[in-house]
Amino acid sequence: MKPSLAAAILLLLPSPAFGHRLDEYLQGTLISVGKDSLQAELTLTPGVAVFPFVSAGIDTNRDGIISGGEQQAYALRILRDLSFSIDGRPLLLELRSIEFPNLADMKEGLGGIRLKFTANVPRGGQTRRLMFENHHQPRLSAYLVNCLVPDDSDIRVIAQVRNESQSVYQLDYTQAGPPPNRAWLVPLALLLFTRFAFLQFRRGAGSFRKRRV
Amino acid sequence: MRTHSFVLACALICFSPGVALAQSTASRVTSSANAFLSSLDQKQRQGVLFAFDDARQGTRWSNLPTSIVHRAGLNMGELTPAQRSAAFALLGSVLSKRGYEKVRQIMEADSVLKHNEHDSPMFGEDLYFISFLGTPSATEPWILQFGGHHLALNVTIAGERGVLTPTLTGAQPALYTLNGKTIRPLGQESDKALALLNALDEMERKQAILGFRLADLVLGPGQDGKTIQPEGLKATSMNDRQRAMLLDLISEWAGIVHEAAAAARMAELKADIPETWFAWSGPTTAAPGSNITAYYRIQGPHLVIEYAPQTLGGDPALHVHTMYRDPTNDYGKKLAAK
Repeated sequence: MKPSLAAAILLLLPSPAFGHRLDEYLQGTLISVGKDSLQAELTLTPGVAVFPFVSAGIDTNRDGIISGGEQQAYALRILRDLSFSIDGRPLLLELRSIEFPNLADMKEGLGGIRLKFTANVPRGGQTRRLMFENHHQPRLSAYLVNCLVPDDSDIRVIAQVRNESQSVYQLDYTQAGPPPNRAWLVPLALLLFTRFAFLQFRRGAGSFRKRRV
Repeated sequence: MRTHSFVLACALICFSPGVALAQSTASRVTSSANAFLSSLDQKQRQGVLFAFDDARQGTRWSNLPTSIVHRAGLNMGELTPAQRSAAFALLGSVLSKRGYEKVRQIMEADSVLKHNEHDSPMFGEDLYFISFLGTPSATEPWILQFGGHHLALNVTIAGERGVLTPTLTGAQPALYTLNGKTIRPLGQESDKALALLNALDEMERKQAILGFRLADLVLGPGQDGKTIQPEGLKATSMNDRQRAMLLDLISEWAGIVHEAAAAARMAELKADIPETWFAWSGPTTAAPGSNITAYYRIQGPHLVIEYAPQTLGGDPALHVHTMYRDPTNDYGKKLAAK
């Protein structure tokens, strides 16, 4: 945190000893990777002292209530501050759920905003590299990011690398076996089978005609 | 002859020390629970008993003060002295001697905080809640919950078995003086971890120390059922002495529950030691007699321990949160399944 901002925040501190989150905006991300998709859950807890800065960006009409529209707008703003890529290719995040605590709890440094989102993961090789960056409120924030143990036993985590603040995260993993989504092969197989059957039929009909002649 | 052998075998089993201990633990805990419940009036009993499968009550715990995150059940402040004594007697039967002492010190620290905060109504020993999920029984599983600010005990009891996960311990101030005696409720958790770190050689320390900041618990309240990828130094890379130190450190959490349950849990965790990891983030020194200001995590197939000093409100050595989990058996789900 920048010294000038820290000084401004210190002026807002209600009590030095009280044990609520104070001068940081804690943002914890848990990532779950699968062969064809990833899920992520982000929990954001603004500290008491940074709450005025954070709430100004949420309660944009300053009516003291976080409306559904304001929740959605803030969630989308957060989403724009996050980036995921796999093997150098950017991933498109889709917001799945939003949970906002009430404003009074957030004001006390208690409530956590919880966002869940997913992204489709394009097919790739056996060795994969996922990159995640969180640039939401970097001057105020403390970040946590972790990968959940994969549900799919074909996926094995090789390494997790982070910068000091955990705003940048790299996950290297391997995946064995074919990608599970092979639905596109079904029409192709049917097409090939039909073509093969047709050729066989024509060949058979041809030889029949030859015999007749 | 066969009948005589059978009777003799039964007698040997029944009077063997292990079974006697198990029976005495189960019956001691159940009778303490029933003694507490019978000390309550009907309205209080209704307020303290919940269904065994009440998931909302099961997960209603936090590190935060009870005035902010509401707990259900009965708080110590609304009990008569006799009822309060019965509640603490129950805690004493469910916990080990050291575990009970730790819990009382965490509560005592909250009273010190109350005093330091100009008698704030948010803190103090009266604001710790007791509740039951299920009915206390010597055979069927039930859960005792006890907690408040910086404390959340969830103890599943099934006969002689006891499962203490998930449990949160914490303290603020994590060092205080009472009657001329300096008390650190979580001092052993700090000292033993630092001793283990210091027992590692340079290469091992390099693996154990993570190069990034950990500002808080990763799997704190609200994060049930999640298992993160382990990091740091795997215990297979440790020597026997270091592994023994790691187990001793783990026992600070595993040993909170009563001795019979703690012994079974420690045996499980000892068997898991080759797959157990130790990770550290933050300063690698501490002033003598003070707590560390670093985060650390111990993780195995049936274990997650996190120790997270809080930078909130001053010196992180004076404000600590810890988490103890078994992702495969939180709330004793294996016992309940049986």
